[in-house]
Amino acid sequence: METPASKLVVQNLRKSFRSQRSEGSMQVFEGVSFSVQPSEFISLVGPSGCGKTTFLRILDGLIPHDDGEILLDGKTVIQPGPDKGFVFQDSSLLPWRTVMDNIILGLELQGVDKRESKKKAERYIALVGLAGFEQHYPHELSGGMQQRVNLARALIVDPQVLLMDEPFASLDAQTREIMQAELLKMWNQTKKTVIFVTHQIDEAIFLSDRVVVFSARPAKIREIVKVGIPRPRSLTVKRSKEFLDLADHVWSIIQDEVLKSMGREREEGVR
Amino acid sequence: MKAAAEREPRFPAWLGSPRMIAACSVVVGIGLWQLGYEALARTRYFKAYAIHHFLSSPLQVVQAFGELYRSGELLRHSYFSFLEFAYGFLLAIAVGIPVGLLMATVKKINYYLDPWVSCLYATPLVALAPVIIVWFGLGILPNSLVVFLGAVFPILLNTYTGIKSVKQNLIEVVRAFGGSRLQLFFKVMIPDATPAIITGIRLAVGRAVISVVVAELFGAEAGLGFMVYFYSQRFLPGPVFVGIVVLVVFGIVSFLALEKVQGWLSPWYAHQLRRAAHGMEVEQP
Repeated sequence: METPASKLVVQNLRKSFRSQRSEGSMQVFEGVSFSVQPSEFISLVGPSGCGKTTFLRILDGLIPHDDGEILLDGKTVIQPGPDKGFVFQDSSLLPWRTVMDNIILGLELQGVDKRESKKKAERYIALVGLAGFEQHYPHELSGGMQQRVNLARALIVDPQVLLMDEPFASLDAQTREIMQAELLKMWNQTKKTVIFVTHQIDEAIFLSDRVVVFSARPAKIREIVKVGIPRPRSLTVKRSKEFLDLADHVWSIIQDEVLKSMGREREEGVR
Repeated sequence: MKAAAEREPRFPAWLGSPRMIAACSVVVGIGLWQLGYEALARTRYFKAYAIHHFLSSPLQVVQAFGELYRSGELLRHSYFSFLEFAYGFLLAIAVGIPVGLLMATVKKINYYLDPWVSCLYATPLVALAPVIIVWFGLGILPNSLVVFLGAVFPILLNTYTGIKSVKQNLIEVVRAFGGSRLQLFFKVMIPDATPAIITGIRLAVGRAVISVVVAELFGAEAGLGFMVYFYSQRFLPGPVFVGIVVLVVFGIVSFLALEKVQGWLSPWYAHQLRRAAHGMEVEQP
C-alpha cells in the first residue's frame, strides 16, 4: 500500500480510552491502516459514535495514539503544526477578531510579518468568496460565511494536508450543498490533500476520490470505496445512477454496522 | 396615506421609551415623598414628635445640598472619599487581576492561595474594618486599605473564573496551529476572559462604595461616610440625605461608565448578552 509517493500513511493505528465507569479501557481503534495520495480527496464515514472525529484529531496530533504510526511526507506526526490545516466542526472563530484577523491567526502564531500576512490573506479571502467582509466580526456573519472563514484560516498556512471535521454539519441543507460545490472548486484550485469527516453519505461521495467506511466501535476499516465519477462534478451528479448505487452500497455497510452494534448493546444490556 | 396617518400614535414615541418611563418613575417617587412630607407637616404629630429631626423633604435636601456646597464642606468630604475610593479600587484592580490570572494558570499557586482567598472573602468587612483602623490609625490610607479588601475579591474571583471557563474549542484552535502556551494565554485566554474581568470590576464598584462608608463610620476626620454619621448624630436629616444621594449617584455613574467600557472592549460579548436577552437568534445577513 504505502508507496514512497504517499502523502499520508497510517499504519496499524490503535487507540483506547480509559473507561470512566469501570476499570480497564475502551478500545476505539484497533489496527487502522490506509494511505493517501498527494492531492487526493478522502472522506471518512461510519456509524455515529465510531470515533471519526477522534481519528481526525489523532491525525492532527491533537490527541495522542497508543500504537501504530502516522507518517506525513514520510515524517512521523507527533504534534499539531502548520503542516496540517484543521477545519473545525463549529467554526470556532475568535469572536474578538475580524474576519481578516481570524484568517491570519495561523501565520501570526508562526511569527509571520503582519503586513505580509494580510497581503497573503487577500488571496484566500477572494478564494472563499468573502471579499468585502474583511472587517466584519464573526457574530455579524451567517453560519456558511463563518465556515468560509474557518476554511480560509486553515488554507492560508499552506498545509500539506487539510483535515476537515464535519465542517458543514451545522449548516442548513441549501447552504451545505452550495458549500460542497464551492469546496470542490477551491480544492481544484489549491490541489490540497484533504481528509474529510462527515456523517452524510452523499456529501462523502460527491466530494471524494475514495470513501473510507469505518465499522462500529472498536473501529476498523470496513471498506474503502473508490468513487469513479469523473471530475469536475456538479451538483446534478447526485441524481445519476452511478452516484445513487454508490450511496446505496455505502449505506448498506453502515446500516449493517449499526445493526451489529445495536445487537451488541442489547446483549450487554441483558447481561 | 390617510390610514397611515390614523395609525400614528397620539403621543410622540419617545414618551413611551424605557428611559422615559424610568425617569417618570423617579420623578413621581420624589414627588410623592415631597407631598407625603407636606401632609405630615400639617398634622399635630409633626411638632409633637419633632419629625423634622428624622425626616426631610426632597426640597430640604436640595437646600442642604446648596448650603454644603457653598460652604465647601461637601467638596472637601467628597474629595477625601473619592481619594479613598480611587486608591483602594485601583489597588484592587492592580492586585486582583494578576493574582486571579496566576491562580487560574498555575495550580500550585492556587493550592497555596485558595484557603486565604476563601477565608478573607467570607470575612465580613464590617468586622475587619475596626481592626484595620486600630492598626493603622485614622486617615486616607487605612481607609483605602478597607476599600481594597472590599473590592479585590470580586475582581480576583471573576478573573479566575473567566480564565477557567475559556472555551475549549478556541484553545484547541491555537493548539492545532502549533501556537505556544504564551500565545495561547495572550491571544485566547486574556481576550476571552476580558468580559468576565470587567464584570468583576463592575461588581467591585458597589462594594468599594460600601467600603468607603464602612471605613469612615469607624474612624475618619472627613469623607462622605463621616459626614453622614456626623449629621445623623446631630439629628439633621438634610445633610445626611445629601451624603447618601452623592454616594448613590457616584456608584451608578461608575457602574454605567464601566458598562460602556465593557461594550467598547468586547463588542461581541455585548452582542451575546443582547441575544440572550431576546432569547433568540439576532438577524444575520
